[in-house]
Amino acid sequence: MDDDGGEWHQTGDVLHEGGRGDPFAAAVRSARMPMVVSDPRRPDNPIVFANDAFLDLTGYGRGEVVGRNCRFLQGPETDPAAVRRLKDAIEREEPIQVDLLNHRKDGTPFWNALFVGPVRGRGGEVQFYFASQIDVTARVEAQAALGRQKELVEAEVRARTAELEAALRQKDRALQEKTILLREVDHRVKNNLNLVSALMRLQSARLSDPALKAVLASMMERIEALSSVHRTLHQAAEIGRFGAGGFLRSLLGALLRGAGREDLEVVDRIGEVEIEAENATALGLLANEILTNALKHAYPGGRAGRLEVALTRDGDEVVLAVADDGPGFDATAMGSGTLGGSLVGRLSAQLGGSTRWESSPAGTRSVTRFPADRSP
Amino acid sequence: MPRDVKNLRILVVEDEALLVMDIEQIIEDAGHRMVADVPSVPDLGRLPRDLFPDLAFVDLQLARGSSGIDAAGLIRCQWPHALIVFVTANARSLLPEVEAGDGVLPKPFTEGGIRGALSFLEEGIAAPPPSAPPPPEFVAAPTLRARWGIA
Repeated sequence: MDDDGGEWHQTGDVLHEGGRGDPFAAAVRSARMPMVVSDPRRPDNPIVFANDAFLDLTGYGRGEVVGRNCRFLQGPETDPAAVRRLKDAIEREEPIQVDLLNHRKDGTPFWNALFVGPVRGRGGEVQFYFASQIDVTARVEAQAALGRQKELVEAEVRARTAELEAALRQKDRALQEKTILLREVDHRVKNNLNLVSALMRLQSARLSDPALKAVLASMMERIEALSSVHRTLHQAAEIGRFGAGGFLRSLLGALLRGAGREDLEVVDRIGEVEIEAENATALGLLANEILTNALKHAYPGGRAGRLEVALTRDGDEVVLAVADDGPGFDATAMGSGTLGGSLVGRLSAQLGGSTRWESSPAGTRSVTRFPADRSP
Repeated sequence: MPRDVKNLRILVVEDEALLVMDIEQIIEDAGHRMVADVPSVPDLGRLPRDLFPDLAFVDLQLARGSSGIDAAGLIRCQWPHALIVFVTANARSLLPEVEAGDGVLPKPFTEGGIRGALSFLEEGIAAPPPSAPPPPEFVAAPTLRARWGIA
């Protein structure tokens, strides 16, 4: 701004006196940006020059500002922290830009984007401070409005989040209660099934008629198949699913043990197939009928033999296939006349599928197919 | 002390009378003896000290709000050599109690399940390890598996 020879005190004098003949002073004087110059070498760093734009902005006359420190523009609502930053910068002799709430002579406030910078002489010492002011009330107010809007939006978001969290907590609680209830019901069902089979065993032990004993024995097998389903229920990782593979393997083991036929060659092709829990009892009873039928008819008189059991997933269907190498049946053993036969037919239908029988002198084979998921 | 046993002395801690009858019948059919049955922990405390059961079947939810876990503790104190098998309708996911006993037999139990468990335990008590694995229904506690050297 200044040529090397230009003395600021001289410029100051010139400014003080109106700055005639100094192009810089003339520019400052006529600039449309409000500007003041202060002299830190005088006590309390007073204004030594103010241009017309400054006087227009603040409403003061030149005589009212020259000789005073700039702080007369501040009011009680001026941010003390901003004022401190301004003061610190001046003490460190560094330039600073700060937004300050100032007041005009008539008391009306305005936001002042204040820039203050030191003007150094040849020796590097600060001779003047140059300050420019811009009225940024509109910008600050727009920002404040934006901030208020943002706060409103954030408050709304917080409220909605809290509502959602409360709903989630409630859902968790409901689920927890449901789980406890389910466990309680499950516990009772198992206890009652145990009582039913205990009653039947106790009755059976007191019967002497072998035909009655046989009837009761097959009823007990059915109850035990149901029991086995209930022991396996609620053990799947996902509630509402039933680990049919593990169930079928344990049912097969129990039936072989019960029949005293653990010597049979068992071909285990039972996969880890999960089905819907609501289908568990139907599949359990169905598998029990098919397996006990094979054990009863395929290996008469303790004959050695082979039993193949497969449980697989075929696309959307579950497939249970049981094959023995017995003499085959003449359409009566598993016919619709027997309870076992009609149970297999009705239970297959209940599962939404069907069971197909193939019997030849080489053995009997049943294939049950039903949809894995019936919910759409 | 392991002793050469064929006839196990069995204590049944169960509050369902029908189940006690059923278990007794299965036990005796398998050639063992039910030496006592009690429905609750207080009743358990009144049993003679010289009962010396080899095995106790303990229901988890007993009469008068008493717990099978407490019953197991009492049995452990009175007859340290007795094996404890919990018989419970609780879902398997709720079975940290396996740790307090030697095994779990889930309800509804079957005759085959109890007989299988009995022959497994009988062999283990006489001369571990048992020759055959336990039936699938019977869950042997990790401590029992370790003691008998079962994988």
